[in-house]
Amino acid sequence: MVAPLLIAIPFLAAFAVPLFSLISKRISYYIPALALFANLVISLVLIPRVMSETIVVSIGGFPPPFCINLVVGPVGLLLAIIISLIGLLVSIYGVNYIKEGPKDKYHMLLLALLAGATGMVLTGDIFNLFVFFEILSLASYALTAYNRDRAGTEAAIKYLIQGSIGSAFILIGIAFLYGMFGTLSMADIASKVGGADPGFLFVSLALLITGFGIEAAIFPLNAWLPDAHSSAPSSVSAILSGIAIETGAYAVARILYTVFDSDGIMLLIAVVGLITLLIGEMSAFRQREDIKRLLAYSSIGQMGLILFAFGIATRAGVFAALFQLLNHMLAKSLLFLAVGYMIYRVGSKKLSAFSGLGKRMPVSSFVATIAVFSLVGLPPFAGFMSKFSVVRAALALKDPMFLWFVVLMLIATVIEAGYFFRIIQNLFFKSGNSLEEVKEAPLSCLVPISVLAALILIIGVYPQLVSGILDAAAQGLVERTAYIQYVLGVP
Amino acid sequence: MEALYSNMYYVGAGALILVGLYIILVKSNLIKVIIGIHLLDTGVNVLLVAVGYIKGGTAPIFTRTSLAPTQFVDPIPQALVLTAIVIGVGVLALALSIVVKLYENYGTLDVRKIKGLKW
Repeated sequence: MVAPLLIAIPFLAAFAVPLFSLISKRISYYIPALALFANLVISLVLIPRVMSETIVVSIGGFPPPFCINLVVGPVGLLLAIIISLIGLLVSIYGVNYIKEGPKDKYHMLLLALLAGATGMVLTGDIFNLFVFFEILSLASYALTAYNRDRAGTEAAIKYLIQGSIGSAFILIGIAFLYGMFGTLSMADIASKVGGADPGFLFVSLALLITGFGIEAAIFPLNAWLPDAHSSAPSSVSAILSGIAIETGAYAVARILYTVFDSDGIMLLIAVVGLITLLIGEMSAFRQREDIKRLLAYSSIGQMGLILFAFGIATRAGVFAALFQLLNHMLAKSLLFLAVGYMIYRVGSKKLSAFSGLGKRMPVSSFVATIAVFSLVGLPPFAGFMSKFSVVRAALALKDPMFLWFVVLMLIATVIEAGYFFRIIQNLFFKSGNSLEEVKEAPLSCLVPISVLAALILIIGVYPQLVSGILDAAAQGLVERTAYIQYVLGVP
Repeated sequence: MEALYSNMYYVGAGALILVGLYIILVKSNLIKVIIGIHLLDTGVNVLLVAVGYIKGGTAPIFTRTSLAPTQFVDPIPQALVLTAIVIGVGVLALALSIVVKLYENYGTLDVRKIKGLKW
C-alpha cells in the first residue's frame, strides 16, 4: 500500500507549504524538494515489484470495478519517476530563481501541479483522470500568470479559455461512456467496448481525444502553448513543457490504446502528429527574436513526433514514442532552466542579446548545448537513440506510406537543427555585446541542469539502462487484455 | 415531437452546451466569455445528471425499505456533478481574478484589443 503515497505526499506537502510559511518562510521553500525526493525514492523502490506484476490499489475496500483504483503499471511508474525527478530538480532551482511575488503560493501550486500529473499517470478510473487533469490545469493556469505582468495574464487567460473548453469536452465524453456502460473504471470500459454502438463510441473517443489533445498541443489545438510557455517564469515553463504536455500525451495514448481498441484511427493520429511536427518546427524556425517562444514552438514539434510514433501502433512504435517522451522531458526542461538564468543575467529574451554568452556563462551554455544536441538527435545523446527507434519502428511496418512519413520527419529534423544551431552559433561564435558584468548562474541552477545533462548522456551511451522499463511500459500500453485482467482479476 | 419531449433533459443539456460554446466563440468581452464557459459547464452537468435519471425515481437515500432499487436514480452521476461543480467554481474564480489583473494591465476587456503577444 505504498503506491497511494506517491499522490498523497505532494498533496499534503502542497497544503503544508502555506502553513509552514507562517512559521518560517525560508523553511517552507524547501518543502517541495523534500516531498518530491520522498516521491522519487518511493517510486524507485517500487520498480522491481512493478516489473514483475502490476500493482492495483482499490480505494474504499470495494473490489474493482466498483471502486476508484490506482493502477501502478510500468508506464505509470516510469512517468511518475520522471515527474518526481524533474519536479525535484525544478523545485531546487525555484528556491533561488523565484525572487518576487507570493513565493509560498508558487511552491504550493508547483506541488499541486506535480501531484495532479502523478495522479493522472497512476489512476485507473476515467473520472479520476479528469479530476487530476483539472488539478494540473488549474495549477498551470495560475502559475502562467504568476508574474502578473501583461504577457503573463494574457497568456493565462488564453490558456484558461481553451483549457476549460477542453475539459468540458472530456466531461461530455465521460458522460457518454457512463451512459453506455454504466461504469467509470477504465479496465471495465475496455472490457465492454467491443459490443457497443460504434457511433456513440466514436463520438466519445473524439471528444476525449480533443479534450486531452488541447493539453497535449496537437496541431489545431495548440494556439495557447507558445504564449503560455514563453510568458510564464522559466521554472514554470520547464514544468509545463517538461511535464504537463507529456501527461496530456499519456492520457491520449492511454485512451487510444487501452480504453478504446482504436486501430482504425491510428493512421489519422500518425498524420496529425506529422502535421503538428512540421508546423511546430517551421514556426520555431521562423522565430528569430524570442528564445523562449522558439523553445515553446519546438515543444509543439516534439509533441508531434511523439504522437506520430504513437500512431505507428506497434509495440516498437509505442516504445519509440515513450523513449522520445523521456528524451523530450529531460532535454526541454533542461533548456528552459538554463535559458531562465541566461535571460535573468542578460536582461532580455532576445536571441541576439545572447551573442558571446558562452564565454561569460560557460557551464550553462555547455549544458544547454548538450540538451540541444539531444533534441536534434545527434549521437551519443539520448535523442539519437529515441529518434532512431522512431525511424526503425516506422520502417518496420514495410508500408510505402510510412516511408514517406519518415522522409518528412527527417526533413523536420533538419529544420530543427537549423534553428537550434542558430542558438549555439549565438552562444559561442558571435560576439559584440558588452557582457562584462554577466556572471555564471548560481549553484542552485547549475546542479539541476548538470544532473539532467548527465542523464541525457548516460541514457544516450547506455540505452539498455532504460530500454527494459520502456519496453515493459510499451507492452503495458499496447496489451489491453493483460491490463483488463490485472485490474478486474481473471475473467 | 414525441421523441423531443421524451428526451427533454438531453435536449436542454445540448442547448446549454451549444449556447455556451457560441458565447465563447463569438463574444469579445472577456466577462461574457467567462459567462459562456460557465454555461458550458452547467450544460455538461445537466447532461451528466440526465444520464443517471430514472423517470419518477427518488433520491438515492435509503430511507424506506418498501422502495425497490430500480426506483432510485443513479447516485454516481450526481457525485460526479458535485465534483464538476466544485472544479467549475475554481476555474471561474481563477478566471475572474486573472481578468482583474488583465484589466489593470491593459485597461480594457475587449479581446480584440488585448494583443500584447504575437502569435
